[in-house]
Amino acid sequence: MSIMLEKVLEDIYKGLEDPEFSMAISRSVSNAEGKHLRVKESYPYVEDLRLRVLEAKKKALENIDYYIDQLARSLERNHGVLHIARDRDEAQSLLGDLVGSGKLVIFSKSIVAEELGLREYLESLGNQVWETDLGQLLIQLEHGKPMHTTAPAIHLTIEKAARLVREKLGAELPSSPEPEDIVSAVRRFLREIYYKADVGISGANAVAADTGSIVLVENEGNIRLVTGYPPIHIAVTGIEKIVPSLNDAISYALVQAAYAGLFPPTYLNVISGPSNTADIEHRRVYGAHGPRELHLILIDNGRRQALLDPGLRDHLRCIRCGRCQWECPVWHHTANKWGGPTYGGPMGVLWTAITLGKEAGAELSMLCLGCARCDEVCPMEIPLSSLIRGLKRVYSSKI
Amino acid sequence: MPPSLPALIGCRYLLDVRSILRILADNIKRTGLPVPGDPGLLTSWSTGLDLPEKGDVILYTGGLYQLLPYIEEFAEYLEKLEGGKAGGLLLKAAGKLRRLASLSKIVVRPSRERLEYSRQVLVSIVELLKSAGVEIAYPRSVDSYSGVLLYDMGLDTVFKEHARKVAEALESVGAKTIVTIDPHTTHVLRKVFPRYVEGFAPTVKSYIEVLAENIDNLQFKQGDAGRVVIHDPCFYARYEDIIDEPRLLLGKAGYTVVEPRRSGRMTYCCGGPIESIAPRLSRRIAETRARELDEAGGEIIATLCPICYSNLRRAYRGLGLERDIQDLSILLYRRLGP
Ligand code: SF4
Repeated sequence: MSIMLEKVLEDIYKGLEDPEFSMAISRSVSNAEGKHLRVKESYPYVEDLRLRVLEAKKKALENIDYYIDQLARSLERNHGVLHIARDRDEAQSLLGDLVGSGKLVIFSKSIVAEELGLREYLESLGNQVWETDLGQLLIQLEHGKPMHTTAPAIHLTIEKAARLVREKLGAELPSSPEPEDIVSAVRRFLREIYYKADVGISGANAVAADTGSIVLVENEGNIRLVTGYPPIHIAVTGIEKIVPSLNDAISYALVQAAYAGLFPPTYLNVISGPSNTADIEHRRVYGAHGPRELHLILIDNGRRQALLDPGLRDHLRCIRCGRCQWECPVWHHTANKWGGPTYGGPMGVLWTAITLGKEAGAELSMLCLGCARCDEVCPMEIPLSSLIRGLKRVYSSKI
Repeated sequence: MPPSLPALIGCRYLLDVRSILRILADNIKRTGLPVPGDPGLLTSWSTGLDLPEKGDVILYTGGLYQLLPYIEEFAEYLEKLEGGKAGGLLLKAAGKLRRLASLSKIVVRPSRERLEYSRQVLVSIVELLKSAGVEIAYPRSVDSYSGVLLYDMGLDTVFKEHARKVAEALESVGAKTIVTIDPHTTHVLRKVFPRYVEGFAPTVKSYIEVLAENIDNLQFKQGDAGRVVIHDPCFYARYEDIIDEPRLLLGKAGYTVVEPRRSGRMTYCCGGPIESIAPRLSRRIAETRARELDEAGGEIIATLCPICYSNLRRAYRGLGLERDIQDLSILLYRRLGP
C-alpha cells in the first residue's frame, strides 16, 4: 500500500476543520494525559513490572525462534493449535480455512485483525461478523478507523455515537441520551449474538512461551464472552507478543493497562487451552462450558525483517499501550489520522514502517516534530523520535 | 523546535516537500545559509562591541536568532504574492524545482523592529556573560549556521559535509569552551556533531548554563520584577536537560516563575518544525500552546529559543491576543544593575 504525505495531510485538515472531531479528541486528551504517572504513584510496583517486561521482551526478541518453538510445544501440550502466517494473505487464508462461510463470528478488539483486514475478509466469505468492544463496534458501524490504540472511538461525541446506534442497529434511544443509554442498547443487541456465535476471535496482549498461555486484559468484559462462549476461539497476534514466561505475560498485560491509564484492569484473562473437564471418571473431555477448540495464529507481516533492521528493531518492544499517542502534540490534533491506515501517532508511524514498508513510514515521518515527548513516556524505552528521524532520512534520500 | 524546511525558505503552502529539501540543500551548499542572504548578517550585530577574536571561551551563535527575522519576512512576502498575479503563477508552479529555485534567490528585508530585537538578544547575552565575569571572545569568521535543519530533515549527506566544515573552523581557533545561545545549536554541536565528525568532541555550553554556573557574580536590581510564565523549549528540556538553570536565573533577577501546564521535562512543542509542511496543523499546535501559557496567569511569557519566540508571537497575533512575550536574555538583561 502506498502512502503519500500530501494525501495524509488532506485528511488531517478535514479533521482540523471538524469541530466535533477536534473537541472530542481534546476532551479525551485532557482526561488521559499524564494518567500513567498517577497510576504509578498509587502503585509503585508498576515500575518493577515495567522493568521485568522490558527485559523479557528484549530476551524474547533476541531469541524469537527458540521461543516460537517452545510456545508451539506448550500449546500442543494444552491441546491448542499454533499456526504461523507470513503475511496478510496467509493470515487471511488460514483464518478462512478455520472459519469457513455462513458463520456468525464475533471479534473482541484486535488491532492486528485490523492490520490484516480480517473482519472484512471474513465478511467477504459470507460470514456475519460483529465487533463486540463498544468503541470498535462504533468504528465498524461508521466504516471508520480506530482513532486510538486502546480507545478506538475517542473521536466520536455522544451525539454521533447515538446517531450510529440508532441508525445502524435500529436501537431506540431517548432524544438526548446519556452514555448509559447507548451502552445498554448495545448490550441488548449483542447478548443474543454472543449466545449464537460460532467463532470468537480475539487478539492477545501477550503470549507466554513456557505455558502456552494467551493473556488478555480488558474492562468491558466482552473478551471473556468472545473467548469463552463460542465453541471455537481463535486468537490472532504478532510474533513480538511472545515473552518467555507466564509471569512475564501477566506483567505485560498489567503494564499495558497501567500505561494506558486504565488501572487496575477490570478483567485479566489467561487462556492456556480449550475448556475441559475430567469430572467424569477422571477422563479428560475438551469443550466443557467454553470453547472446545483453541487456535493461535502468529503473524509475521514484516516483523522478522524489522528485527534485522537497526532502524526499526527497537520498536518491536512496543506493547501498544497508546501512551505515546496521549502525549504527542501532533496526535493531539490529528488522532490516528496521522500514523498509517491501521496504527496511529508516533508508534503508528513505526508500525506502519514495519508492516507496510519503510517507504510508507517515511512519508508519515515528515510530520513528526521531533519534540521527544513520546520518548519521555514510553514504558519500553523505545527511542521513538530517533527512529522516526531515521525514516526522515529514507524520505530525504529520494530528493 | 527547529523550523521546517519550507518554513526556512518561506513556503507556507502544500508543496512538493522533496523539491523544497533540494533547494535547502543547494542554498546551504552555496552560501552556508538556509535562506538567501549575505553571510555578514550573522555577525553584523557585534559591530561596535568590544569583543576579542581570540580566547579560551568563545561564542558560537549558530545563526538562528539572526536568521529568524529573514525567515518570517520571506514567509510573509510569499503570502502577499499569493494574492497577486505573479503569486498565482509562482504557486501553481511551486512544485517545479526551477521556479522554487528562483524564489529562493529573492532578497528579503525584515522589518527594522524584528532585526533590532534579534540584535538586542545577542547584545544582552554578551553583556550578561561579561557581568557574570566570563571572558568571552567572538571569532567572527568562525560563526556560521550550524546546519541543524539538514540533520532534522534527514539530509544526512549534506549535513555531514556542512558539519565537517563548521567543526574544522571551530577547531582552528583552539578554544576550550564553546558557548552557544539557542537550544538547537547547543544540541547539534554537543550531541550530534561528535557522531558525524570524527574526533570532534569540544566542551559546549549554552549561555544559560554558563550564567547559572556564575550566578553569584551576577548583580540584579532589587525588588519584584513580575510574574513570568516559562516556556521550556523541547531541546533544552528533554535533549539537554537544561531546566533548572533558567528558573534559577529568573528567580535571582527578581521574577516569580509561573509553571504552565506541561512544563519542564514534559514541556510542549511550539509547532515550529512542521510549520510549512503542514502550516495549519503547526498553527493549531502553536495556538494550543499559546493558550495554555496564557492560562498560567503571568504578566510576561519567557521563551528561550528564537523559533519558539517567533511561533508563539505569531500564534498570539492569530488568536487576536496581545501578549508580552520576551526572550529570556532580554528579561535578565533588563534587571542587571545594582
Ligand atoms: S511506543 Fe511505547 S508508549 Fe507508544 S504504544 Fe508502544 S509501548 Fe506504548
